[in-house]
Amino acid sequence: MDTNNIDYKKEQSRFFKVLIGLLLLTAVTFIQPHLFLTEANFAAQMFIAVLKAWLIIMYYMHLKGETLITWMAGFSLFIVFTFFAIVIGVDVQHFQFKDESHITESAIPLHEAGHESHSTHSAH
Amino acid sequence: MSHEYVPEIATDRDGKQHEVQGWQDDFYGGKLGFWLFMFTEVLMFGAMFMALSYYNTLHPQEFLDASASLNRLLGGINTVILLISALTMGLGLLKMRTGDVKGAKLMIWVTMLLAVAFLVIKGFEWRAEYHHGVFLMHDKLLADSSFPLGEKLFFGLYFTMTGLHGFHIIIGIGLMLWLLKRINAEKVRPDHHILHWNIALYWDIVHLIWVFVFPYYYMIGAGGATGGH
Repeated sequence: MDTNNIDYKKEQSRFFKVLIGLLLLTAVTFIQPHLFLTEANFAAQMFIAVLKAWLIIMYYMHLKGETLITWMAGFSLFIVFTFFAIVIGVDVQHFQFKDESHITESAIPLHEAGHESHSTHSAH
Repeated sequence: MSHEYVPEIATDRDGKQHEVQGWQDDFYGGKLGFWLFMFTEVLMFGAMFMALSYYNTLHPQEFLDASASLNRLLGGINTVILLISALTMGLGLLKMRTGDVKGAKLMIWVTMLLAVAFLVIKGFEWRAEYHHGVFLMHDKLLADSSFPLGEKLFFGLYFTMTGLHGFHIIIGIGLMLWLLKRINAEKVRPDHHILHWNIALYWDIVHLIWVFVFPYYYMIGAGGATGGH
């Protein structure tokens, strides 16, 4: 398969346009928590990340026009997100051992917990 | 060591010999195979993101507090570095496809320099965190420390995921060095560039992973965020 019949100037121009798009989205990533959708920060950040990923996959990874690989990518992502939905949406909601599990309880033994302050850590 | 192509011969039931179709120029097959490999990368990092999301839903406020303490300036600089390196890698492939081998090699070197810059900045960041007592199996992240459990989980996964990502960057630098060697040996050329194509794809997936790692670790706690969970 010959992939070299390309217009260099046109392709180069597309690469730079995508770069500008990605830089703008990166700037939005930094501005968003201070300016808009501050109550939905997590969702907004992930949405911006998805937009950036779409640009990278379609243009830098040349998926635009690749039907078979696009279907494969879509199917694989569907599987990953299905597991996400099951684990995060169903499993966590019905977590039965919140009081006993080591991932929800503090690792400090109960008799020591009363003597130690959790406020001792400092942010960098 | 010679890599001369020796055709494989198959003999049918009538004793006639046939040359087996060579796979060396199967560009689409090479690309498809590499996409399959990249899906395994998505599954691996996807599992880590799932663990991260799981602990995040259990300890939302501690995750926000931990995220707020990360150095967003250094993380942001690294984001831009990776972004530009994806461009230089892509331009290098473009130059190779259009016959500018010298330009392609230059772009690969620039990409490698940017990759090293990424690692150096990440190293400074980890060093600062270590001096604040936050590092794997160290001080505040030890099981018996009084550091909030949610923050321990956050930082445990932060070091694991950024460490694994950094490991991928190191592998990428190795692959680029190998690619340069293959270009110099004229095994990768404008009319036979699948290796260059796939290493560019690899660099894009490394960039793509960072596109999600960066906001999840550095940005969810920015601006005093409290919502979204």
